[in-house]
Amino acid sequence: MNKLIAMVRKELIDAARDKRSVMAGLYYAIGTPLLMCGMFMVLIGQLTSPEDLNITIQKAQNAPDLVRYLGNKGINAVDPDSAEKGPDIKDIDIKDITLIISDDYAENMAKAKPAEVILQADNSNEKLQKSIQRLKRELQAYNAEMGSLRLIARGVNPQVMQSIKVNVQDQATPDSRGGMILGIAIFTMIYSVFISGMNLAIDTSAGERERNSLALMLSHPISTRQLVLGKVIAVTTFALLGLILILLISKVAYAFVPWQELGFSINISTDFMALMFAIGIPVALLASTLQLFVSFMAKTFKEAQSYLTMVLFVPLALSMAASYNIAPDALQWLPVSGQQQALMDFIKGKDIPMMQLAVSSAATIIISIALMLGLEKMLKSEKVVFGL
Amino acid sequence: MVNRKLVSKALTMQRRKPTVYSTRWAMILCVLLSPFGNINASLASDTNTISAEKTTVINSQAKTSPCYLDGMAEQLQCGQITVAENPAKPDGTQIDIHFAILPAIKNTHPNEALLAIAGGPGQSAVEHAAGFDRLLSKVRQQRDILLIDQRGTGQSNILNCEDSSVTSTLAFDDESIDMIAETQKCLDQTTADITQYGSETALTDFEAVRTYLGYNKLHLYGVSYGTRMAQLYMRHYPEALATVTIDGVVPMQQSVLAIGSAIERGFQLLIRDCENNTACQQQFPELLADFTKVNERLAKSPVTEKVKDPLTNEPSTFLLTRSKFVGAVRMALYTPAVRALLPHAIHQAANEDYQAILGIYALSADGVGLAMGMHASVVCGEDIHRITEQMRKDAKESYVSANMIDGLEQTCEVWKMPPVDDDFSQPINSDLPTLLLSGELDPATPPNWAALAKKQMTNAKHLISPFATHGVAAQTCANDLIADLVNSNSVKDIDASCLEKDIRRSFYLNANTVEPQLAQAAPSTDDDAASQNATGTDKE
Repeated sequence: MNKLIAMVRKELIDAARDKRSVMAGLYYAIGTPLLMCGMFMVLIGQLTSPEDLNITIQKAQNAPDLVRYLGNKGINAVDPDSAEKGPDIKDIDIKDITLIISDDYAENMAKAKPAEVILQADNSNEKLQKSIQRLKRELQAYNAEMGSLRLIARGVNPQVMQSIKVNVQDQATPDSRGGMILGIAIFTMIYSVFISGMNLAIDTSAGERERNSLALMLSHPISTRQLVLGKVIAVTTFALLGLILILLISKVAYAFVPWQELGFSINISTDFMALMFAIGIPVALLASTLQLFVSFMAKTFKEAQSYLTMVLFVPLALSMAASYNIAPDALQWLPVSGQQQALMDFIKGKDIPMMQLAVSSAATIIISIALMLGLEKMLKSEKVVFGL
Repeated sequence: MVNRKLVSKALTMQRRKPTVYSTRWAMILCVLLSPFGNINASLASDTNTISAEKTTVINSQAKTSPCYLDGMAEQLQCGQITVAENPAKPDGTQIDIHFAILPAIKNTHPNEALLAIAGGPGQSAVEHAAGFDRLLSKVRQQRDILLIDQRGTGQSNILNCEDSSVTSTLAFDDESIDMIAETQKCLDQTTADITQYGSETALTDFEAVRTYLGYNKLHLYGVSYGTRMAQLYMRHYPEALATVTIDGVVPMQQSVLAIGSAIERGFQLLIRDCENNTACQQQFPELLADFTKVNERLAKSPVTEKVKDPLTNEPSTFLLTRSKFVGAVRMALYTPAVRALLPHAIHQAANEDYQAILGIYALSADGVGLAMGMHASVVCGEDIHRITEQMRKDAKESYVSANMIDGLEQTCEVWKMPPVDDDFSQPINSDLPTLLLSGELDPATPPNWAALAKKQMTNAKHLISPFATHGVAAQTCANDLIADLVNSNSVKDIDASCLEKDIRRSFYLNANTVEPQLAQAAPSTDDDAASQNATGTDKE
């Protein structure tokens, strides 16, 4: 036991000695939540329709009531002719949406014929979509109101137009509405488990071999099992350190994003942090054993790096797939994706699928143990130890 | 990813409960109403019944349970507390006070909530959750919205008067109604102690709900009669309040029955607006004369018409009395869109075509959603004894208010309420940040009422929207100003310039159009008269 502790200490001291590469491993954990939050802050502004939506309305004089109605809903008409005149007109953000009111608008309307307005806009422009929808909605509302008034003028109750009443009862909770973003957030956290320990895993395996210190280690009176365990524990510790960091930073950073503008909130609670950490332990174990295993398989440091990037894709693909709601149910039972799903259910306020979580965590641990046994066996072979 | 305010505003106007309130009373008696649930209700209406459908309480410790409210898709929180009907007899009859919480989107102030108080008196706040949600969506981004069914309304031991006879509202003669007998019938139906349904008793329920839910501070939004509740809150529990917004203000100093002159004024403004509008003036040059003509005709004898029922299309008889006609015009003045139809409707009526009046009348004929028993408890206890000589004199000139005062005096003979103390009529002394909102065109609570209420408020701002009627926040950008007040806790930085934006609705020129044909009218038909009384703070 003492030997094992000494082994872990050695690994950790070794790792900490190279401060730059330690930091490089943890930059991800620190930077990702900050970058994501910054990105969302910008995106939210782009996705929502501005409070004052300025559009061009041509021939506004044909329908002053409609123009004022839209104005009351925050959709302002900017006169295309005066656009050059005003000095501060350039400061106004005019969306590329044009409403043209037909010349026979008033004439048709007086005869209760449909009066034509033309809406010109590029519906494929994602930045405009919300604004276009909003304009359409308001036009629809104006249309409905006018229709109602026409019926009233004819002595008919406008309720007759509503033959069925649809009352939607949305089962979503305020937390689950942010599901997609939460999925991405959890994904970045799981990713950090894999990233944070990676440098150390390569360094302590392929790196140590390149520096010829691996053989020296093995010549000490310790078993291969102790050596493997020591390395695994050291790498796992680093992975978990990364996880703790990203959790702490996410908790602070996510609170700053104005999620409410999108109609939901994202709250990283301490309960979630505790659960994420607990679930993260087997995942970290899997990450470290997998990374060590692949690194030992490789002959050189550089080769290890390339292989790892490829191999890591598998658990990350699982995690990413699970972060979308369209994921097949089978993913709930697999390692990594099972945990990710359980975390998402927790944060959405649903019951955690304990069975699936237990199975996927058990699978994670079994794979890790298998990999450790594999490592142990590998290190008994000279080919591996000397990288022949 | 939706800007809630915009989504919801689109589907404006709606919902009201189709309970059979004593519809006969409602048309004659209801004094104030709030902008929700009155006749603008049916314009683009869809939903109607309330479905406070409760799912099982997951945690018995929880103070609220998830529920769905009419017109809102999302899951909300509902709950109730049990209080003594008579606070002086804590062991006596118990009643449940129901409330609903629209949870904040991102709850940055968990110890605060905005309490929205409905009008009437007699409207249920919870039933109008969707309307309040639209109105207060900006406030809700960071704070809970709390809605309480005031005792006697909604689900809180409602005091309403159900019609026993199911005669058609179209055919019945409202002028021959025996108010005393009707009231007695209503009183016989209830087992409640009607004297306990006044404003001040109800206020203790509000405060009890606040402490029960653990909010340290409330922001208030009261509309119409709700402004009285808000002012009482300022008087009795100022320490529990952060900010107050009162919209369509009923000052403590006077009886709501002073409304007669306000109705008259609202109608005169309609005549003025039509005169100042080129198209309306051309189309209806004799609007006032038209109105007088119909009134005189109906005063001689009511008109009976064979019509199709506005809703069912069944052949029916429509008995148009003067009070029905004037009542329909009055109701239409509340809602800008319906108000726009009035010149056409009056003109047609003068030419003996009553279709448009029938349409407008039908909007409010099946009740205006008031709990009439609670309405009577409030008015009979707090207003009827405050009728002044001046008001009686005004009433002589106003058919509507004379009718109303007569009816209510008869009602209150049966519906016996002890009158409130004289202290009740004292102006509110307060240094709470208070925003008062008035609509220039308001046919119920004109701007000078708010000026009266503001007299002894030292930290208050009075804003007048030149184009709004009753309930300014629902019609203008004033709802954003409420959010500004709630966020800044101060009235100083409130920028009211957006209220000046011209949001008038054009008048209907026939049964189809609001837009004048340019060949007939000058290109600019906008009048400038209305913009002369531009918005601004009340400088006193």
